Amino acid sequence: MSDPGLLAQAVAAIKPLGLNYAFLLDLGERQAFLRGLVVTLELCLLTIPCSLAAGVAMAAALTSRRGWLALPARAFVEVTRNTPTLVQLYCAFLVLNMLITRQLEGVGGNPLTPFVWVVIVVAIHKGAFHAEALRAGIEAVPQVTLEAARSLGFSQRQLLWRVELPLAVRFALPSLVNNLVDLVKMTAVASAIAVGDVTYESIMIWTQRDNVLELLLLILLYFGVLTWLVSRAGSWLEGRLRMPGYGQ
Amino acid sequence: MRITVPGRRFDPRQHPWWVALAAVLAVIGTWVATGTTPVALVFLWQWTPALLWGLLTNIKISVLAMALGTIAGLVVGALSLSPLRFLRMLTRWYVQFFRNAPVLVLIYFTTYVFPFELHIVKWTVPFPDWIKVVLGLALPTSAVVAEIFRGAIQSIPSAQWEAAQSLAFRRTEIFRLIVLPQCLRRMLPPWMNLYASITMSTALASLVGAHDVVDTAQIASNTVARTDFTVLVYFTLLGVFFAYCYPIARATRALERRHARY
Repeated sequence: MSDPGLLAQAVAAIKPLGLNYAFLLDLGERQAFLRGLVVTLELCLLTIPCSLAAGVAMAAALTSRRGWLALPARAFVEVTRNTPTLVQLYCAFLVLNMLITRQLEGVGGNPLTPFVWVVIVVAIHKGAFHAEALRAGIEAVPQVTLEAARSLGFSQRQLLWRVELPLAVRFALPSLVNNLVDLVKMTAVASAIAVGDVTYESIMIWTQRDNVLELLLLILLYFGVLTWLVSRAGSWLEGRLRMPGYGQ
Repeated sequence: MRITVPGRRFDPRQHPWWVALAAVLAVIGTWVATGTTPVALVFLWQWTPALLWGLLTNIKISVLAMALGTIAGLVVGALSLSPLRFLRMLTRWYVQFFRNAPVLVLIYFTTYVFPFELHIVKWTVPFPDWIKVVLGLALPTSAVVAEIFRGAIQSIPSAQWEAAQSLAFRRTEIFRLIVLPQCLRRMLPPWMNLYASITMSTALASLVGAHDVVDTAQIASNTVARTDFTVLVYFTLLGVFFAYCYPIARATRALERRHARY
């Protein structure tokens, strides 16, 4: 971290405003907070691709013509969208994890840590939202375009890969980016099952030092930066994928 | 869509929810009659009043947060359309801040920043945790309602504004007689969506000590201390929230379909 003298000066400069950032001068607490920042970043970086993959898989199941695939997928998406993430996390971690641990007791223990469970649950939860956005995108592809492609001799697979998916992704992109911003904010629930993310480390620090407001300001700043980065990336991608004649 | 032809007898495929309910009641009836109810379900039956009381807390929090947030959001939304550039900038920062903040962090903020009890003149009034959660949830609600309101007003074609002005309507009259009645219809589906989302966020109240349904389920699970009951009670939690939020989602979709214009 930076020169301790400089940090002490910065802390002393902010003190007259009524904000006590003395915890930054303590090595243990400062490192715990920085670890929390890194864990939150790791959670976001892992969950974003996993949720997109889950979303594509669920969207494929939802729009499939096979009833045995579409109906359970629909039921799963509805349940996931209409129940709180926290309760889903508890069901996964306190219930499924406990059952898995019991089963694997003799065979070498449960390899799934709370961090992995947070990634799984948040990825699946957001994947359901991505699936709805992608389904709306797929249904927004004009039938005329598909018929024209078919009349030009595109096979079913070529139709999907070269015509339907590119258009569907472009239509769904604003919703997908919105969902990803929500996902970044949702990683804060990881603190409920003691994953060492920035919210959890802050709770540990403020129970000792009672500087809740200062820590919350730092957390809000950090999440603000992360969500800003995600929406900037989304805007850049929308700009790159823009097609003339499609209104956006 | 259900097709009913008079004289046709009951077709179970067209009433799936009633069939499911009948099946569940039949199973429960056999259990009660023969006394072979699984132990976990007996415990769940005993804990149901406590769980429903906790759910009432969640509903209380969500209704109050929605009411406060809607009023504040309408004010902020109206300010965001003001001709003064400073007000527009201020409201844009407000909306950006509260939409980019995690709800959990806002709830921690209102829980810890507000005092434990209020001293008004000579009385000491306790400041319960659930009211702090209401305030914490009202903040992002107001930001989203402001955006919904602004979006609805901006979706009214400018042709209507111009036609009204050419008919010598004053600005307040245009708002009251022409724009707002149309806006209220357009705001309803996203507003109902927001209510469902706020209800699900009330589950976070258990993390700051409010005695809601999640907290009650945790107490129940620790008291009974049986694996099968723990599994059952947590999945019941899922079912309870689903039973409350799914009808709202269905009603929202039906409303959207009815009022879809462009």
